[in-house]
Amino acid sequence: MIWTAVGVLLLVLALAVPVAAGLGVLGLALSEMYSKLPLTLAIGEMSWATSNNFLLVAIPFFVLLGEILLRSGIAERMYNALVLWVPWLPGGLMHSNIASCAMFASTSGSSVATAATIGTVAMGEIRKHGYSERLFLGTIAAGGTLGILIPPSINMIVYGVLTDSSIPKLYLAGIIPGLVLAILFSLTILVICLIWPQLGGRRTHATWAQRIQALPDLLPPLVIFLAVIGSIYAGWATATESAALGVIAALVVAALRRRLTLRMLGHALEGTMRTSAMIMAILIAAYFLNFVITSIGLTTQVNRYVTQLGLTPAQLFVTVVLFYLVLGMFMETLSMMVATVPIIAPIMIKAGFDPIWFGVLIVILLETAMITPPVGINLYVVQGLRERGRIDDVIIGAAPFVLTMLLMIAALWYWPALALWIPSLASR
Amino acid sequence: MHALMRGVLQVTRWSTWFGGALILLAAFLIGVDVVLRKFFSTSIGGADELAGYALAIGTAWSLAAALLARAHIRIDSLYALLPLRLRLLLDFVGLALFIGFFGLIARHGWNVLLQSWQSGSRSQSALQIPTVIPQALWILGLALFVIIGVLLFVHALGLVLRGRSGEATRAISTRSAQEDVAEEVRDVKARRSRESDAR
Repeated sequence: MIWTAVGVLLLVLALAVPVAAGLGVLGLALSEMYSKLPLTLAIGEMSWATSNNFLLVAIPFFVLLGEILLRSGIAERMYNALVLWVPWLPGGLMHSNIASCAMFASTSGSSVATAATIGTVAMGEIRKHGYSERLFLGTIAAGGTLGILIPPSINMIVYGVLTDSSIPKLYLAGIIPGLVLAILFSLTILVICLIWPQLGGRRTHATWAQRIQALPDLLPPLVIFLAVIGSIYAGWATATESAALGVIAALVVAALRRRLTLRMLGHALEGTMRTSAMIMAILIAAYFLNFVITSIGLTTQVNRYVTQLGLTPAQLFVTVVLFYLVLGMFMETLSMMVATVPIIAPIMIKAGFDPIWFGVLIVILLETAMITPPVGINLYVVQGLRERGRIDDVIIGAAPFVLTMLLMIAALWYWPALALWIPSLASR
Repeated sequence: MHALMRGVLQVTRWSTWFGGALILLAAFLIGVDVVLRKFFSTSIGGADELAGYALAIGTAWSLAAALLARAHIRIDSLYALLPLRLRLLLDFVGLALFIGFFGLIARHGWNVLLQSWQSGSRSQSALQIPTVIPQALWILGLALFVIIGVLLFVHALGLVLRGRSGEATRAISTRSAQEDVAEEVRDVKARRSRESDAR
């Protein structure tokens, strides 16, 4: 049964059947083959229940928040302000790239949006200051992935819903690993530029007056972060409610910047609904599939199989990490998540791993998947912004940061508190 | 035929705006609700329920727009290596399965609607909304998606039969990463130039 399921799944996905239809067809096939009861009859009720799930309302909200921010011009100002603050380090503006990505990530739930936004602003600086193009591009591709680790995060919402874990806790758990990973990225740049100073470009200098003057430009992202994450931390709002507050805050920021027009809002809503419909279609099918695989006892069977293998927690951890590293080279991240997490999370939780901790681990693995070739969405985004040369430059430039991410995964293994400390404070 | 597809495209834009407006309304409703609850210890009551309906209806009404924009994710690692004809065949298979699966959901969703109608069920919140109302709007969105999906299938098939496979590819194949990114870049650049004009 296990291998039939895996086989059919690989087949439909490899044949490029739309992921939503692929998961649905797999569900129908498994129910046909292994179930005595006609599970298909439940599909209407189940799809309706998934479609109006209040937790999932956060998804269009965060997509909309991103669409508005993208069109409000706050990213340019934020980048230009951060450029004045960090470029004295060896590696110069590449540290600004990481810092901007981390800061933008605290308002955005998507890694693609983060890389695209910061990339657009930063790209012009490469030639101006004589940077190594490859490494510079790599910092944007890698920095952009922070979008889903530093809360808010669309992927954490999906993980929370799939595994029935608390989305607010997942958000809070992502904060320290997000900051640590950003710092590790910067250290990576620092080390590389100390060894090969010619990669680091020419330093720029800013006066303190300039720096202070630019500070207000950092305010809008901060306001949105406080609206979204602050309201959760303070216990005022649930994950979905905080997302609604984020949308309102973003609208206010855009209005103050005089960017809020009916036309702009129309475009933002169109983009939002296309993306949200795509995500919801996958989730509806995934819910049905999960129902089928639980009903026919597949989850139990996989669990028994893994238990029989008698792996130690450390071996299980390494196996899961390797599994996602390999799969992540070939699969788009959202699809990878909905197809695997419902099976793998129960195994990990049964083996004694904390579901929130595992959620953070999964998100970091998804980040890795975004910058590992041949399929790595952030590589494509950065290459697309650049419009010349070969994508290999981006792949090579991003490679050192894959190692950094592995280091982060190891750190998470040795110090689970990195993820679990803040959530434990909030639940008190 | 092309005029028909242009009409279809326009319909999906309107339905997306309708869906988007519902989501925007939901965001305001919930935002107001949080503020009322925090500072005035009162509540609208049922904002969460309405937002749930907005999600169901809004996304159902936007499925077709995502289909026409080829925004539904497909894994194309292997697909990209195949010859063009085989790819086009897979495009038709994928589209048919997609329409079929959501057609099935709409079909069974209709049963859910009938049941709600017969039992006269109402939502559990203070609002006591008859569940048939949001369910009917949801089914309508799914039905719209299925109809437009079938139209797209027939349109693409017609193109292939008249030897215009290239156009069919643009209608139903996966968007290549380049295509995706090119659009994103065009968007961003257009915005940047508008901004520098404004300065």
